[in-house]
Amino acid sequence: MTEPALEGVKVLDLTHHISGPYCTKLLADFGAEVVKIERPSGDPARRMAPFHQDEADPEKSLLFAYLNTNKQSVTLNLKSEKGIQVLKSMVEKSDVLVENFAPKVMPSLGLDFETLQQINPGLVMTSISNFGQTGPYRDYKAADIVEYALGGLMYIFGAYDREPLKHAFNQAQFKAGTDAASATLMAMYHQRLTGQGQLVDVSIQEAVATGLRDVINNFTYTGAVRRRQPNHSGDLLRMRASADGHLIPNPGIGAGLDWNTVVDFLGLPELDDERFSTPSARLVNAEELGRILDEYFIKQNKYTMFHASHEKRFIFGVIQSPEEVMADPQFEARNFFVDIDHPALGTRKYPGAPFEMSGTPWEVRSAAPTLGQDNQEIIGHRLGHTREQLVQMRALQII
Amino acid sequence: MPAPLEGVRIIEMGQLIAIPFAMKLLADMGAQVIRLESTGRLESYRSDSVYQNDVSGEFWNKGANFYEQNRNKLGVTLDLSKPKGIQILHELISVADIFAENFTPRVIKNFGLEYEDLRKIKPDIIMVSSTGYGFYGPWANYGATGPATEGAAGLAYQTGYLGGQPVMAEIPYTDYTSGEHTVFAVMAALMHRLRTGQGQFVDISQTQATSATIPEVLMDFSANGRTGQRRGNQDTSMSPHGCYPCQGEDRWITIAVAKDDEWQAVCRVLGQEGWAGDSRFEDSLSRWKNRDELDALIGPVTRPWDAHELMQALQEEGVASGAVLDSKDLLFNPHLNERGFYEVVTHHESTGIPPLPYAGRPWKLSRTPAVKGRAAPLMGEHNSLILSELLGKTGGEMAALEETGIIGYGPTNPRPVQRPSLDEQVRQGRMQRYETDFQEQVRRAFPV
Repeated sequence: MTEPALEGVKVLDLTHHISGPYCTKLLADFGAEVVKIERPSGDPARRMAPFHQDEADPEKSLLFAYLNTNKQSVTLNLKSEKGIQVLKSMVEKSDVLVENFAPKVMPSLGLDFETLQQINPGLVMTSISNFGQTGPYRDYKAADIVEYALGGLMYIFGAYDREPLKHAFNQAQFKAGTDAASATLMAMYHQRLTGQGQLVDVSIQEAVATGLRDVINNFTYTGAVRRRQPNHSGDLLRMRASADGHLIPNPGIGAGLDWNTVVDFLGLPELDDERFSTPSARLVNAEELGRILDEYFIKQNKYTMFHASHEKRFIFGVIQSPEEVMADPQFEARNFFVDIDHPALGTRKYPGAPFEMSGTPWEVRSAAPTLGQDNQEIIGHRLGHTREQLVQMRALQII
Repeated sequence: MPAPLEGVRIIEMGQLIAIPFAMKLLADMGAQVIRLESTGRLESYRSDSVYQNDVSGEFWNKGANFYEQNRNKLGVTLDLSKPKGIQILHELISVADIFAENFTPRVIKNFGLEYEDLRKIKPDIIMVSSTGYGFYGPWANYGATGPATEGAAGLAYQTGYLGGQPVMAEIPYTDYTSGEHTVFAVMAALMHRLRTGQGQFVDISQTQATSATIPEVLMDFSANGRTGQRRGNQDTSMSPHGCYPCQGEDRWITIAVAKDDEWQAVCRVLGQEGWAGDSRFEDSLSRWKNRDELDALIGPVTRPWDAHELMQALQEEGVASGAVLDSKDLLFNPHLNERGFYEVVTHHESTGIPPLPYAGRPWKLSRTPAVKGRAAPLMGEHNSLILSELLGKTGGEMAALEETGIIGYGPTNPRPVQRPSLDEQVRQGRMQRYETDFQEQVRRAFPV
């Protein structure tokens, strides 16, 4: 059979929470060998909701289970000398170290890049942090909402006349995790060609600020500051309520210019009127148009409209609930959701491959690890510690 | 030091953001990206947000959106509706490492550009297709926009004000999410090829990549059958956690409190000693239970503050907080500038655009930094460089290609573009304001 894309890449994973683990999950799911180092109390994400059947057990966090597929878990107390010693012996045998502590933590543990590079000159060290490893905000605290604010996405997100909004969940951290995985592989590519390692500095704020279309350019090109857009009721691109949810009846750029096609498709002769036939007329009569469209779409089934529109090459979109996402025939045809069996969670459906590779497929080899499940294998067997030494390390709370 | 991707050649048949953005990041890191475009079908971003809002002259070489997505690329025009155009594309693919495109599968099939076609020309080619819903499956040929895939992925359903409707980003957000995954996919494919010499086909579904980033709700539904509610800026455990008004027009601060000592610090900074002892807010559980009440109390208290001063005061006390930056704040942000996030790019003199700063990348590689930024290509700017020098076309062949319209240097049918004046854009509420001395401000902050 084919080997996975990242066969032979050895990753020492010191990450916790979301951004770092998503980075190493991407690496692991495409074949890298990832050893996750957890503090003896475990990655704090083990205590993050949602939990299976709402049981707040460190082995039952569904978020943790998703973020840590295909990884091994070793516990290690990095505040102990022995713990640091064990870690350094693992650095020697790794290609990549990924961490997402606050920037001052790694140097305070004596694990700065210069030190680690002396142990392993080929090491790629990827550091993900809220604001990067340098600069005046370096030690600022953040949460996803703070990254949305300081990354420039929040000001242009939400209703014109209300407070700015952010996406649900932890999007900024997923963005940075993906970027970190890409940058790690760029450095790995160079390492495979030259043998040289390097330091990769990833900032979550910059991950957000990189994806704003032309918002910053509006100022540099014209001096204008873009704000949350007014959403007039006649706007053809506006989301509308349907009988069963919401849809975005976007006719598309080409078809939008040909009003008759839109009128015919919707079967609404009252729109065949010069009050609506040009963009400027639609702007003047926006309220009337919006009322007609709202009254029409609220009686429609969103999926019927969605499929019919694409036959005409309009580009309608549907808003899907989680339930609808999981029943989505497109995802089903692509086997996006996969069953994974986990000792504490049983067999559950997980979101699977974020994209497909024909030659080196995304693959689940193991479910997320239980805390320290690989101590014996890795610290004992691979690093050559005896059973007695392992017992002693446990007694000293090093593992 | 060479950039890490030096020697990697990419042929890009991209449009708008999803593929162009991803290929820009690879170009930044040293890949040679040859971007193909049509003179017959003008990419709309070429005429979006043009410099000084001036649509006269060669407006297609002045669009902000095009420059933003296509830095460091070489530009070649090619009419693929003619066999000769396809033949030249095949010649390019025969010397390329990667072919990347984001058209619908129908278009790619019509052009005979599927992976199976390409590998006959270049056996180790890596082909990357980015589509709204994926290259195969019942929705494969459905065209899509950013909001549509944000909706299909399940992200929009959960985003929105408390009790309100779903809300989507006003930029094509999933183009970025999928673009970020595209960069990773290309790098994984390159790693594999380096080791084995094998190419492959990478199929990016913009919806699928986005769904992969919302396990919080998909796993909750999968295991517990539960669908969350739209909760505005509120968090599932932190409180206060929100966006509150500050001094000035449309000025805001975000605050996120996880721990009790952070809450005590908020009370101190805002001068509300009374809240500190209030039993409704004494621990994280009670604050979360009473979060609506708490949010209503905080807004009026932050109102007189300058957003940046309040952010600084809260951060000094160890509270996660950020001013909501508008685009000008972001451009001049001292932290981003200290880190050299923006890079100044010089434009072709025919455009009349002075050197301008552009957003860089979310990563810094210590040993192999990005290449020095070069502006996106004028239409057809590198026809000669690529077709003559790389493919060895003679002067006579080049003249024939131009004569038959296979290549060109401007749109064949430039429809005049109309842009509302800046005053009109402000009147419509699309822009918050505009500043007439912006050129001086930018020049001073970003010298060449």
